[in-house]
Amino acid sequence: MNREEYNIETQSRRSFIKHMAAASAITAATTMLPEVTFAKRAVTSTSGELTWKKSPCRFCGVGCGLLIGLQGGKAVAVKGDPSSSVNKGLCCVKGYHSVMALYGKDRLRKPLVKRNGKWVEVTMQEALDLVASKMKETIAKSGKDSVSIYGSGQWTIPDGYVASKFMKAGIGSNNIEANARLCMSSAVTGLMTSFGLDEPMGCYEDIDHADVFILWGNNMAEMHPVLFSRLLDQRLKRGCTIIDLSTRTTRTSLAADKSILFNPQSDLAIANSICYELVHNDWVNKSFVQKHCVFKKGKTNIGYGLEDKFQFTDEPSGIDFDEYRMFLDDYTPSKAEKFSGVSVKDIIYLASLYGNPNKKIMSFWCMGPNQHTRGTWMNNLIYNIHLLTGKISTPGNSPFSLTGQPSACGTVREVGTLTHLLPHGTVTNEEDRKHAAEIWKVPVEKIPAKPTYHTVEMFRALDRGEIKFMWIQVTNPMVTMPNLKRYRNGAKKEDRFIVVSDVYPTPTTDIADVILPSSMWIEREGMFGNSERRTQHFEKMIEPQGECMSDGWQIIEVARRMGHGNLFPWTKENHIEEIWKEYSRFHEGNKHAIAPYEVLKANPGIQWPYVNGKETKWRYHSKYDPAAKGESFDFYGKPDGKAWIWQRPYEPAPEVPDVEYPFWLNTGRVLEHWHTGSMTRRISVLHQAVPHSYVELNTQDAAEMNVRTGDKIKLMSRRGEIILPASVNERGQPAKGQVFVPFFDESMLINELTLDSFCPISRQPDYKKCAVKMMKA
Amino acid sequence: MTVKPKRKYLILLFISLMVSAIIILDLSVLHEQEVARIEEKDYTATTPIPSESGVFVRSEFALDYKNMPDDAQHQRTLKSYSKNRAYAGAPPTIPHIILNENGFGGKSCLQCHQNGGFVTQFNAYAPVTPHPELINCKQCHVPVKVQTLFRESSFIKLTMPEINNQALVGSPPVIPHALQMRENCLACHAGPAAPKEIHVTHPERVNCRQCHAAKPVLNLEWTRTSSSIKE
Repeated sequence: MNREEYNIETQSRRSFIKHMAAASAITAATTMLPEVTFAKRAVTSTSGELTWKKSPCRFCGVGCGLLIGLQGGKAVAVKGDPSSSVNKGLCCVKGYHSVMALYGKDRLRKPLVKRNGKWVEVTMQEALDLVASKMKETIAKSGKDSVSIYGSGQWTIPDGYVASKFMKAGIGSNNIEANARLCMSSAVTGLMTSFGLDEPMGCYEDIDHADVFILWGNNMAEMHPVLFSRLLDQRLKRGCTIIDLSTRTTRTSLAADKSILFNPQSDLAIANSICYELVHNDWVNKSFVQKHCVFKKGKTNIGYGLEDKFQFTDEPSGIDFDEYRMFLDDYTPSKAEKFSGVSVKDIIYLASLYGNPNKKIMSFWCMGPNQHTRGTWMNNLIYNIHLLTGKISTPGNSPFSLTGQPSACGTVREVGTLTHLLPHGTVTNEEDRKHAAEIWKVPVEKIPAKPTYHTVEMFRALDRGEIKFMWIQVTNPMVTMPNLKRYRNGAKKEDRFIVVSDVYPTPTTDIADVILPSSMWIEREGMFGNSERRTQHFEKMIEPQGECMSDGWQIIEVARRMGHGNLFPWTKENHIEEIWKEYSRFHEGNKHAIAPYEVLKANPGIQWPYVNGKETKWRYHSKYDPAAKGESFDFYGKPDGKAWIWQRPYEPAPEVPDVEYPFWLNTGRVLEHWHTGSMTRRISVLHQAVPHSYVELNTQDAAEMNVRTGDKIKLMSRRGEIILPASVNERGQPAKGQVFVPFFDESMLINELTLDSFCPISRQPDYKKCAVKMMKA
Repeated sequence: MTVKPKRKYLILLFISLMVSAIIILDLSVLHEQEVARIEEKDYTATTPIPSESGVFVRSEFALDYKNMPDDAQHQRTLKSYSKNRAYAGAPPTIPHIILNENGFGGKSCLQCHQNGGFVTQFNAYAPVTPHPELINCKQCHVPVKVQTLFRESSFIKLTMPEINNQALVGSPPVIPHALQMRENCLACHAGPAAPKEIHVTHPERVNCRQCHAAKPVLNLEWTRTSSSIKE
């Protein structure tokens, strides 16, 4: 298999013309020589022909390259793209069956409007008119900050760009957020505070170089299975070591060389304890630290964001190495053992792996450290370990934060579809605002300088009534918001108007006033950006069903109706290419340049910075990064050219199990289902493998309660209660005193129980820790 | 006072000696601070899965397969083969109860599916996997817990390719399916678990693709690449 496969369209067009020419020649010949019969050349009908086209997978942030089998105008099969450097031809069960998600019988094909409590089918034009007039009316009545857009990391890059331009340059409000706030904003603030620039310095190729992999609270075998298979492959070939550090025994723990269990929230203590060992065993790479790092501390006792209108601003101040060293004295392995339950021996073992100068080491993490009330701190602490040992920005030495959505990086982080961001930089920075205003051709005063609401606060504002209009696209917050009941009741209040663009009916469309049917994935053209700064283009391969329209085009249509048409002077045919050209201007320069449209079209993904026709695999090292100056490392993200090592202490979780609510509740995903299951549950193979949610119990707890797999359990927190079947010793096993529930099932809404506390720096909620009690139902 | 030329040279010599001593000491102190590291080797990219990689993989069993009598009672058919695949080429689902939910690779699935053999519980021969090196089996192969659907679907699947596709009477049939993940012919075409319609009569001739050409799965017309000849 080779690149030829991507030229299929032209090839088949050529053969079609040939067939046509042959057919007309035969017709001409028959009229000239009526007695002679010409053998007709067998022409396979175009509907029967199977062609393959490349696309990134629709689901997670790994960004596997797929080849989609198309026949008769439909997607009929999938295989892994062998020329994609991400997955090298292998997919997971979701990817292999992904195209089936296009064909659920209950696909939303027509717009629906709620009139007198009943759904009425209307035309797309009517629906868009209604959305525009309602939005205009709300702005006139309650001001421009009373309308908002809530999107996701599944927006394609052009969709997110259109949404951001519409809100910030059109309406003139920073009321735009995305569900990626719930999944990776701690990763962003972690990178920003440590390095001054977002997105990892390394890439997946690090896997082919590293000797040791440490997984921080990351069930990679289920959540990033294709990358995990790359780890396993390397272990088979080169004998690497995989360490699983988690609060629950999972499939990853079983595959790893060593599984270390720790108490929830104590990862902060473990990371500091590893640093203590590095410092006290003289495992610190002193010349690296001296040349390239500075030490900082920020505020402590920073709160949990549980109250409305919670505000927090960190104040970094410089410290010296001795102060940092003294701070670490609180985290000797024996002290950390008390917090974490991890033995002194294991902590020293971990430190010795990081500290061994001849071992290349990769740390992976995703929702464990990110969905954490001290998420930013936890990210900082992992970077600290890599910085103290100088194991960073070189092949195989890589602290790597994984993402969960196909374009969390590409759309939300790079385009900046968050309240405080612009396609390049932040709204608070005047230079960045001027830059954006120039490209968008609007006066700079149009773009407000003050961020408004982050996601949790946006839904609180909707509940309080400051926001009256919300347009939700490509996401399902009525399943995913923590402390769900409050936000559902808020959204259902009398004078709130909710527009939902989606592909299937969900609990979120249930609360909508207008439902717009969206064309999905390969029914339209677009780009996704994965965890390793790789942008991937996919073309429109099949016709959208019914009146479905892409999310981005829906916004453009509404913008035009509201008089912002001059911001979007493109046609339906050329808008993706034109958006890409305009968007590229934001990222000019060798720190973030993105590949041109044609290059993206021709390749299975290109990593930025893309400078002089070359991808950048490792940032901050002059050997690999065109933006880095000097002979080796150059952390150019910070004005002082240094990476920051942060003094971040252990602080407890906001809600800890007690006598009344004695169990920790942890939530997450399973391999077969993606997020809220609105797509994967419509895929027969995936639904039949995991047909419903469950609560995982520790075997000992189950025995004490006399509970077996399948028994109904009533799970209660201070916020709500649900009933679900027990799962004992099946897929995973939580430690004693803990339970785990997957969140994909809309009939067992675990988020009614979760707590809406968040990291004060990143404002990302903690879905991994709250206190519950349970009884047999 | 004038300094004698001889002494001048002597002073110069001492100064240069001092300077070099300082430089050498400095360098060695700096060097001391560096941490010992192994030289980095140049990296060569892992090549994409080559379609040739598996051709001879199970050839050591070829003679055993040859001498094995057919067990007509327990032979699989193509119909049952395609039953647990969502479309032609999809990873099959697990049609049986999983004895150990927590099992992983070599400790679980591969016990039966690496080399096959008769399993009394299921009254069937275990099919042999063409890719035993990929041990996170349940990444692609998932069990079937219920037969019902969450919502109806109108997905139309890619159907199984036709067999008996010889160009001439008696000529060797071509390979009608993609080879990716299925590079090892004998895993599915030989042994007691092979579906009877595609059971090879001559497993001992291990160089399968000497006679069985891969049918271009892409339905592309053969064209010269632009580099080989200019139009």
